[in-house]
Amino acid sequence: MTEPATTASKAPGLAPDEPGPGAGDPPALAVDRVGFGYPGRRVLDEVSLSVRAGELIALVGLNGCGKSTLLRLTAGMLRPDAGRIRVAGADVSGLPRRAAARRVALLHQTAPAVPGMTVRQLVRQGRYATRGPLGMLRDGDDAVSRRAMADVGVADWADRHVDELSGGERQRVRLALALAQDAPLLLLDEPTTYLDLRHQLEVLQLVVRLRTERRMTVLMVLHDLGLAARFAERLVALRDGRVAADGPPADVVTPDLLRDVFGVDGRVGRDPVRGWPVCYPDTPTALAPTPAPRPPAPAGRPADVPNSAGGEAR
Amino acid sequence: MLGCLTAAVLLAAVTGLLAGGAVAPGEVWPALTGGAVDPTTRHIVWQLRVPRVLVALVAGACLGLAGLVLQAALRNPLAGPEVTGVTPGAVLGAVAATAAGLAGWASPTAVVVAAVAGGCAGAGLLWLLAGRDRSDPAAVAVHGVLVSAVLGGLTAMVLLVAPGELGSVVQWLVGTTEARTWEHWALLWPWALVWGAAACLTAGPLMLLRCGEDVARAAGLASSRARGFALACAVGLTAGAVAAVGALGFVGLLVPHVALALLGADLRLALPGAALAGAVAVCGADAVAQLSSRAAVSWGAGHLSIPVGAVTTAVGAVVLLAVARRHTTEL
Repeated sequence: MTEPATTASKAPGLAPDEPGPGAGDPPALAVDRVGFGYPGRRVLDEVSLSVRAGELIALVGLNGCGKSTLLRLTAGMLRPDAGRIRVAGADVSGLPRRAAARRVALLHQTAPAVPGMTVRQLVRQGRYATRGPLGMLRDGDDAVSRRAMADVGVADWADRHVDELSGGERQRVRLALALAQDAPLLLLDEPTTYLDLRHQLEVLQLVVRLRTERRMTVLMVLHDLGLAARFAERLVALRDGRVAADGPPADVVTPDLLRDVFGVDGRVGRDPVRGWPVCYPDTPTALAPTPAPRPPAPAGRPADVPNSAGGEAR
Repeated sequence: MLGCLTAAVLLAAVTGLLAGGAVAPGEVWPALTGGAVDPTTRHIVWQLRVPRVLVALVAGACLGLAGLVLQAALRNPLAGPEVTGVTPGAVLGAVAATAAGLAGWASPTAVVVAAVAGGCAGAGLLWLLAGRDRSDPAAVAVHGVLVSAVLGGLTAMVLLVAPGELGSVVQWLVGTTEARTWEHWALLWPWALVWGAAACLTAGPLMLLRCGEDVARAAGLASSRARGFALACAVGLTAGAVAAVGALGFVGLLVPHVALALLGADLRLALPGAALAGAVAVCGADAVAQLSSRAAVSWGAGHLSIPVGAVTTAVGAVVLLAVARRHTTEL
């Protein structure tokens, strides 16, 4: 069910320059054999991903596996050194910043505090891509940013200072900032960081609702595999800069995924009422070398785990 | 609030016109409106006081604006024109030109040209030294301190080698509005107008830069270019102000805090506000300097003229302490 680098892209025999004949609209996002690295360190290698308009995708993997880098590349904030990334048919790394920001909105994991800035002022900054430097001098309360604030439920605190808000409130304000860009593709880098359980669920439900209401495509990095399995329609796992699994959570979230992508022995069950996959992680194990998506060789020292941890996985 | 600041500017200007010693306050208005006063009074008011007040207002506006632009672009509330190499560069330019005999108080144009050139050279030096770290505000600030220290040392060396002009130059190192003429005004205002207008038009990008590199770029700002343009505006404004009145301490550092506190984080308002507040600060400080000089003289201090820079530095040090304390408690 999970093969490495399985994608929905066209067969490699077709001309790579065209977005695919006869398919109607180009995919909302097409990542085509993208590579990226810093000197001495390869971050992404041959990553391919095709995303239909309206999909809600969670990107999971260990720290440093390239998830955030993939988001930055997709937003056009970094330039890939191999392959190409097209958003609705346009190569984002070739677009000017403003044009890229009209197509893709990216919510970063963290943002520095801005002393004295109100919610309204911060959310309005999302209009820059549409309005330009001089347009930003005009009226400060436009319909798009007002709607963005209303959509995430922060309209009532429009005149409060952002640094006075709680973590959960601030996250909603930052989501409103990304929505104010009015871009069809929304990228979220760990939108639930620093939030408690209740606010994690609130933010993700908000994302699911807005995706439907605004007909956006959403690609989000999530650290919590349980939340990813519950909220996403499709789950993409990265391991050492490569796509290790790609598919619906019910198919992809397995003990194999836990072991191969996260290096954790554990079990996977189902929520008794809702049926979504639930993980029961047990013990960290040695990660198999990258090009070994199959179960590791018996040399993976089973003797270290005297209890039945590995039982279900095998 | 901008209206209040404008009123404060007018008040400071009037006080500045009335504050001097040689003409009684009652004679200033008739002298301005062409009433019956003797020619010496008219000359003092028209040729000395009015240009002095005007230069102080515009130089203050430049410094306030430059400070806010710098603090927003570098995301550093304790950045000021002093740490971008511009002020020390301009001082060095003016001092070197004076020492080399190319310029002097008799030829303000030469001083202004030398100071602007020096200011731009100082900023250019920072630009070169910062190298790859140009997009890192903290690294730029550190290099700025370094450049400022080196340029300050060079200025001291020039002063030691050519001590002849020391008296007039030292006043200028502190910052003074004494003996500013219409020639200064004619050189200053077009320069200030161009760079000031450019700075105010960058309010949108500057607000995004204040939000941080990642947020700014995600929202569609080509941040390096925007920051470069904003810094160029700040350099132009600072160089103009320093060329006109010398290295006034603390104005560019503290006025932005006043503007942000009064007008909020919306830079469309805060930038003009910083210009007005800077004008009030320098013109008001000049009036205070003149009044305290008169008071000192009446107490028997002989001839004394306190430069405006001494007032801004004294007041500024206290305010800076307060600002720094507030920031450290926030951290």
